[in-house]
Amino acid sequence: METLLKRAIFWRKWVVPTKYRQILTILVLIVLLYIGGGTVVPGFLSLEQVLLTLKLAAFIALFGLCQMIVIVAGGSGLDLSVGYMATLTAVLTASVMDGRNEYLWLALLIAFALGALVGLANGVLTSYLRLPPLVVTLAMADILQGIVNAYVAGKAITGRPSPILVILSARLTGVFPNILYVLIPVAFVATLVFQKTKWGQILFGVGANERTAYLCGINVRKVRCLTFVASSILASLIGLLLLGNMGIAFKDMGSNYVMPSIAAVVVGGVPLSGGGGNYLGVILGSVFLQALTNLLTALGLGDAGKWLGFGIILFAMLSIYASNRQRR
Amino acid sequence: MLGAIPSTLFEKGRKTLVVLEAKGVRKYFGGVVALSDGNLRCCQGRITGLLGANGSGKSTMSKIIAGVYRPDGGEIWYKGRQVHYRNPKEARKDGIALVFQNLSLVPDLTVWQNVVLGMEKSRGIFLDDREAKEISRRILKRLLPGLDVSRKVYELSPGEKQIVEIAKAIAENPKLLILDEPTAALEQAQVRNLFAYMRELAQSGVAIVFTSHRLWEVMEICDDVTIFRNGATVAYIDFAREAKDPEKIVNYITGEAKENLPREKERLRERLSSETLLRVRIQSRTKSLQDGLSFELGRGEILGIGGLAGQGQSELLYALAGSHPKIRCEVEMSGRKILVRCPQDAIQNGILLVPGDRQQEGLFLEHSVYSNMIFPKLGLPRHPTLIPERKYREECMDVVQLLSIKLPGLDAPVNTLSGGNQQKVVVGKWLSFNVQVFLLADPAKGVDIGAKRDLYEYIKRLAREQGIGVLLYASDHEELAHYADRVIIMYEGRIVATLLGEDITEEAITAASVRVR
Amino acid sequence: MEVMQKRTVFPVVFLRNAFLQPETSGLIMFGILFGITAFLQKNFFETKSIVRTINSCAPLVLLAMGQAVVVISGGIDLSSGAALSLFTCILTTVMKQNDPITGVYALLVTFLVALGTGMINGLGIGYLRIPPVIVTFATSYAWLGIALFLRPTPGGESVPWFRVFYNMRVVEGIPETLRVFGTYIPPALLLIIGACLLWYLVSKTRVGRYIYAVGSNIESAYVSGINTGKTQMFACLINAICIFLAALFFVGQNQTGDARMGGPLTLRSIAAVVVGGIALAGGRGSVYMAIVGALILNFVGRIIFFANIPNAYQTLVSGIIVIAAIAGPAYATLKRELH
Repeated sequence: METLLKRAIFWRKWVVPTKYRQILTILVLIVLLYIGGGTVVPGFLSLEQVLLTLKLAAFIALFGLCQMIVIVAGGSGLDLSVGYMATLTAVLTASVMDGRNEYLWLALLIAFALGALVGLANGVLTSYLRLPPLVVTLAMADILQGIVNAYVAGKAITGRPSPILVILSARLTGVFPNILYVLIPVAFVATLVFQKTKWGQILFGVGANERTAYLCGINVRKVRCLTFVASSILASLIGLLLLGNMGIAFKDMGSNYVMPSIAAVVVGGVPLSGGGGNYLGVILGSVFLQALTNLLTALGLGDAGKWLGFGIILFAMLSIYASNRQRR
Repeated sequence: MLGAIPSTLFEKGRKTLVVLEAKGVRKYFGGVVALSDGNLRCCQGRITGLLGANGSGKSTMSKIIAGVYRPDGGEIWYKGRQVHYRNPKEARKDGIALVFQNLSLVPDLTVWQNVVLGMEKSRGIFLDDREAKEISRRILKRLLPGLDVSRKVYELSPGEKQIVEIAKAIAENPKLLILDEPTAALEQAQVRNLFAYMRELAQSGVAIVFTSHRLWEVMEICDDVTIFRNGATVAYIDFAREAKDPEKIVNYITGEAKENLPREKERLRERLSSETLLRVRIQSRTKSLQDGLSFELGRGEILGIGGLAGQGQSELLYALAGSHPKIRCEVEMSGRKILVRCPQDAIQNGILLVPGDRQQEGLFLEHSVYSNMIFPKLGLPRHPTLIPERKYREECMDVVQLLSIKLPGLDAPVNTLSGGNQQKVVVGKWLSFNVQVFLLADPAKGVDIGAKRDLYEYIKRLAREQGIGVLLYASDHEELAHYADRVIIMYEGRIVATLLGEDITEEAITAASVRVR
Repeated sequence: MEVMQKRTVFPVVFLRNAFLQPETSGLIMFGILFGITAFLQKNFFETKSIVRTINSCAPLVLLAMGQAVVVISGGIDLSSGAALSLFTCILTTVMKQNDPITGVYALLVTFLVALGTGMINGLGIGYLRIPPVIVTFATSYAWLGIALFLRPTPGGESVPWFRVFYNMRVVEGIPETLRVFGTYIPPALLLIIGACLLWYLVSKTRVGRYIYAVGSNIESAYVSGINTGKTQMFACLINAICIFLAALFFVGQNQTGDARMGGPLTLRSIAAVVVGGIALAGGRGSVYMAIVGALILNFVGRIIFFANIPNAYQTLVSGIIVIAAIAGPAYATLKRELH
């Protein structure tokens, strides 16, 4: 027994780093990007620039969490409706809050209820009716966009976020963006939930092998359905933060985050087939993508370079994972 | 024994051509011997039967000939030259066709499209559909009169699909046709049609290899039989020279003459007086299980389920575990009726399943041993949200020690373990539960001998000491003979025989499985 | 006994089965919507109006046909809208207004690019075996990036004769007969007929058969000796050609390129495929039904317009239609399985 234990401890030292190898890889990529960027673009390495990158990356990382919850549970899950979910919440709650803190609770309640409703619709359609998540959430994005359009049609969007939201998401403390004070606890809690609680482990199990999980007594459909609910509620709450950051609500405020959120999950080493991954990786993936965007913008390549770069990186990463899988 | 195959065959004074000859073929699967000395001869115009118990090597033999597996030794001669096929495609090109068991049909194409799939003829660049329809109509008219060849395959019954599968192989115009258990899904009349057509094909010069678990079918259609036991060819009987004697064939299959010392068996003799733990009655009729099947399981008893592969044994276990949605069964545990509608119901009642395919159904291969072992606990309704990791790790180490699982550490991915140790993990994850009944579906498949013994000895001790009931399905009848206190034999979803006490021998189980009609 | 029962309720069973057939319900839906539209729009059957109808749905029809081929082969293409935008940008970048010959160059270059985009998608789906959703999601952004690179804002030039793909009457120097012909048969219809012809020819060859086989059950197809990677690659190439035809029409109509015009068409093409009764799981359905699906979506849009519902509701309604169209059959099968 004792020798066995000793051996177990000995091996743990060597096994554990492999779990974080992916994260090390992204860290190296980020450092390389910054070294390259620093030599080409003057001022790219300045503290303000880096912190600005972190601030923008924080929103991608938050949307990445929505995406990760759904993707980890497997079943080719994916949530493309997060962008318009956030937009819808922001648009609807802006007039409720209208720059006052008193109605923040009401806004939170609306956000929560809306998220739960949309998430439940996504979840029931995908896991109980077994429809492809991609099409369902894409169509859901359209429906939400339609609601936004209809709500907005013919009138200006009124209202401003409550000051608390503005302080949380837009302001800086010194040079340090406050949104990071949101992201850090979220990251901590998410990691805790994924690694140390039964919910996280059940998600990983369902994603890794649906049949095994079912035979172990897990209600796979319910779990998958709930991932969509969680994703939508989170997206809805992120909508409030986005509103705080922008100061006003507008029609397409969330839609530009959908693609980066998926890309961040992929770059962060979460297998798209589900059953694994680490939220820290997703955060680093977001930082990498945002830094890349900034670099390309600084080089004058703008939107074109950003999307092309994202597309190529995503395709390359997926091909590498695919070839890894085939070798096994 | 092999001298039994004569070097030249004469039939009514006419020399028949040997199409295929396999000599001393060997095949290992990761150290396990599947075939140690496989010999087979197929002649033009003759139907050769392959017989043998589960795992005797007859299936491996037919797959080697069709190029699905590559042999590890021995020679295969086809039409006078030695062949080494690397894949089924090469064998097909040479005119060897193997009938798959519902593996190669495309559900959304029509019957005739399936029959010619992969070898469509074209006129110019366009497909010649008229000829394709003609071919499939010609073949299917004989096998399944009245089948509309333009129906989609997904509309067909399993039996009809099997026939289309056979038609597909025949449409290739093979010189050697291998039919591996083609009649399992067929009805009596369909079998008749198939046999008539097989006879006709043979007369036109095709060599046919036919395997079936129904002895009478083999006796009826085959010109000669080759019998396999424990991975080796043990007999060749040419019905033109020898009488069709079922007793003799069964003896060859079971190896009655095998000289082994009578094993010392410790059985639970007082079974009838022992307390009944579980009473089961199947209540819905499906293809795989008959309505009304029922049995009892005593406390501390190991009940073996025998029979040929695929006679409803695993369906029975899955139904009991609440994971076969179409089968309803009435379960009474210690005199109290319980409901088993989903796996969680079964788990909470202490009915725990060790599934047959551990990679697909028992494990999360890329996750750690620790995650695999604690997973079933997480699904329990009252499990605390935060996982008590230290406590669980200690429990896991205890289980590791108890089952002597060899592993580099609890955090090692489970796919780095050997097959035997993986299976121990599957069993081990249930040990912290209040086990009442263990359902074991072929737990020793692909497990090395040492681990197999460890596993069975442990389960036996568990049954004896804690009084749990064990339902053991094993395709290897030797395991049943060794460890079961009582054996029920299943055939086509029914229990057809029960063996008790001293009657439980490997030979008796195999004989009971084969002799069924 | 069972047979007897079936016979007595034959008409009912037949009708119910007909309704459960996705193709029949698609055609019935089309008939109803056609009727309503014709009723609401007074001059619906005038030549001019018919031509306008055809022009308004041509890009979607072409994209939906391409999408249908990919879906039947077991894939899905999320990059078709982006590819359409990209092709319009390339066409209008290569062409110079005063140099008619550049139009030919543009056609050639864009056609090759189209085949290239199809090959990249096919490589990911067929050979690397990455989930089609993700491959084409990634490539859609790559196409968008390149398109924005070429044309950050809508614009560009086109040779005058490119209008033959939109309206033959306004083009100088083409034979009078052709011009008259073009009056009655709009070029958009010719492009659609071209795409139909392409698929008709392909469907008569091995590739066409194999596209269905691979989409229906890739393992069985492989066991039967079919090269599944090549087959899926072919499906992506056919899709690329359909998108190319749509790009010709768009540039002919607008004389400009736009990097963002195609985006919304992706979901609409998938919606058209679904409404046309083609199973997203692959292997089932008819490519021609995608045309019906596209027309249904188009008519719904018109009815919304005529019913004085604000245009803002357009996306909302199309989203609901997609979900209703796929949820209906799924619910039916679920219910059947439970019994």
